[in-house]
Amino acid sequence: MSNGEFSIPLIHNSISIMTPFLLAAIGGLMTELGGMLNIALEGLILIGAFFSVIFAAATGSLFLGILLGILMTIFISWIFGAITLYLKANVFITGLATNLLAGGLTAVLSFHLFGTKGVLMFNDLPSLPSLNVPALHGIPVLGDILFGHNILVYMSWLIVVVAWIVIYRTPFGFRLRGTGSNPNAMSALGLKPQNYQMIGILISGFTCGLAGAVLTLNLGAYVPNISSGRGWIALVVIYLGGKTPFGILGAAFVFGLAESLSNYAQGFMDIPADFILAFPYIITVAAMVIMSVIQTRRED
Amino acid sequence: MESYLSMRNISKTFSSTGLKANDNVNLEVRKGEIHALVGENGAGKTTLMNILYGIEQPDTGTIMLSGKEIMITNPLAANKAGIGMVHQHFKLVNEFTVAQNVVLGTEPMKGAFFFDNRKAEADVAAVIEKNRFHISPEMKISEISVGQMQQVEIIKMLYRKAELLILDEPTSVLTEQEIQRLFKTLRELIKQGKTIIIITHKLAEVKDISDRITVMRKGRVISVKDTADVDESEISRMMVGKSVVFDFDKGVDGCRDAVMSLENVTIKKKRQGRPILDGISFEASTCEIIGITGVAGNGLTELEDVIAGLERISSGRVYHNDQDITNITPKALRDRGLAYVPTDRLKRGSSLETSVKENLILTTHHDFMNSGGVFDEVKINEHSKRLISEYLIDGHADVPIGTLSGGNIQKVILARELEMVKDFVLFSEPTWGLDIASSEFIYEKMLEMRARGVAVILISSNIDEILALADTVIVMYRGRIVAKKASGPELTREVIGEYMLGLKDDYSTDDDCSSDNDHSKNDFKGEDN
Repeated sequence: MSNGEFSIPLIHNSISIMTPFLLAAIGGLMTELGGMLNIALEGLILIGAFFSVIFAAATGSLFLGILLGILMTIFISWIFGAITLYLKANVFITGLATNLLAGGLTAVLSFHLFGTKGVLMFNDLPSLPSLNVPALHGIPVLGDILFGHNILVYMSWLIVVVAWIVIYRTPFGFRLRGTGSNPNAMSALGLKPQNYQMIGILISGFTCGLAGAVLTLNLGAYVPNISSGRGWIALVVIYLGGKTPFGILGAAFVFGLAESLSNYAQGFMDIPADFILAFPYIITVAAMVIMSVIQTRRED
Repeated sequence: MESYLSMRNISKTFSSTGLKANDNVNLEVRKGEIHALVGENGAGKTTLMNILYGIEQPDTGTIMLSGKEIMITNPLAANKAGIGMVHQHFKLVNEFTVAQNVVLGTEPMKGAFFFDNRKAEADVAAVIEKNRFHISPEMKISEISVGQMQQVEIIKMLYRKAELLILDEPTSVLTEQEIQRLFKTLRELIKQGKTIIIITHKLAEVKDISDRITVMRKGRVISVKDTADVDESEISRMMVGKSVVFDFDKGVDGCRDAVMSLENVTIKKKRQGRPILDGISFEASTCEIIGITGVAGNGLTELEDVIAGLERISSGRVYHNDQDITNITPKALRDRGLAYVPTDRLKRGSSLETSVKENLILTTHHDFMNSGGVFDEVKINEHSKRLISEYLIDGHADVPIGTLSGGNIQKVILARELEMVKDFVLFSEPTWGLDIASSEFIYEKMLEMRARGVAVILISSNIDEILALADTVIVMYRGRIVAKKASGPELTREVIGEYMLGLKDDYSTDDDCSSDNDHSKNDFKGEDN
């Protein structure tokens, strides 16, 4: 079936593309549940992207690159969290500041270390290992779709499951949700809402660091502003996914599919390129409108 | 008799306002008693209890429990010492179940990592069983009544093994039935050996429930008495320094012209069988206070919104001076001169973070601009200065209104609204949570409006207030008017109570009256449980 030949690689590709959205959104969910809209996701992804690739190049180890990249992102998210929660700054201002810091810091360091503010190529970087299970690869359709991705893709799925368990089955997740819903209820019992929000922010640092690593290590290069709005779309994914980990998995796939479709369409469809590139964003707007219509209906 | 709790020489000054909330306060509470802490708003009761519960730290003074001095640095420490507090404003997570709210912070665990929801429900069910509450641990907070929410707050403290329970204004949000149920629960707890401190300024309740009374005024303890030895007017005298009896003249006859009239006003919502408002008709006339009362949840809130133009009606008509104003915008209604003192004075009535003087011109700011379209500061300052002195507002014109006490916030709203009044004014729960002096001030203003010929609509769930002020009393039950009566000696608390609770209905369309009554009684029980 010619249809299947077209759609299987398309879906396979969508799964790769959705991974950064998924990771950033899961991290963002943790702060969202704690009652804070985390607009710093975009900047945190950029930090993770930059540091994981340069550390990987410097150490020659993908593992160390990812680890140090994530630690760096967690560090930046800690600064963001500390200023917001303990020094009581407005979360939108500090989030905006984090995004500006990420852009500036990466540009300055790039120029300082490599003499350019442009693209950094790392040709001798090993590529991310893929997961191939030849025995299962034989499963028709599903095998082709689910296998052959790099290991970070599978890690992101594992993170979705772990996030679900943490949110719904542990005291931390329970208290985090309590904080988001009514911080006064927490304070009245002597619990400190900020502490739970802080952990949520650090988790978003972790997942955004990983999301950034996916971007650069896949490419073997760092491109300025490589996050290119994924952190913002991740915020939409959180809402579209109904603020649940598995909902977010589904919503992230929708965006992966949209981007993947626009990549394919550029190849052989006679549609203006600008329009095709705008496709994921049009999906974003449409999704938000549909969501809000459904919500208003429900409340009526 | 030896004291179980003794707080000695407690003083607390708030650095932000310089207000001495507690001035060398001594409080002695005996084991197994219900101790009433009474006083007007701002007398320092809540501050004292916040100190006992570790929310505030005293500047000086000691706290002894069972003869041992204890340090209470935060609510967790208070819980550990066996002290529990039920706040006036509930602190519950709406999305969580009863059980989840109760165990929050001290969750039962399954293994080292997992929260054991089933055990939480079982543990909470045991507490509910033991204390004879009527509530299911699996229900979500968003599904239960206000009275049940309060039960959850009490269960929360009992789950934490509280021996000394502090209840801050526990009856202010409850219906008459819920109050009786609460008192039954409190007596039950005393039988189990608990000790209770109850903060209130409702004197009848003090007489009803407490063993001893500590009266506070302006940060000091005025008197400590056995409840049996004092009567209500004596307590009232101690609280305010003078006896307060609400006895006002009724309006004069002969100048009744309809100003605002509602005809068959009905609101229906999707997926809701019973209309929220069902065929409401009445006239608000000049020289008259029309009092509308009922138990919360029976349509008072919606009626407030309709009169204020904030809620669209599904059918029926509304007239102002014989002109049809059905579903016109709030702005258009205000332009017609509607003055409105809303129930929610913090969210709807004022802008908490803006200054007193700005709040005073919220509805009339267009009149305070100079020809360049910029605010005329001089004019605004004069305006606020005049109103602050005229309305006895205790607060500076330039401070955010949110820093004022509840009574003073209400006076600012009152000043703003009554300044723009033309021929009709709506007061909704105008004295909710206010002390007697502030309430009296508001009543005087209301009577002044009536004397000026303004049509006054008073929506209030406080029966005493309705009886004291209204010339015509309307009682609402389940979205309908069930009684419309002229005030008079035969219209008593008990009579209104029967209508409010659905025991009587002057406008019943059902021929089979008795079955209808049974039906409504059962419904009420259902809501209460």
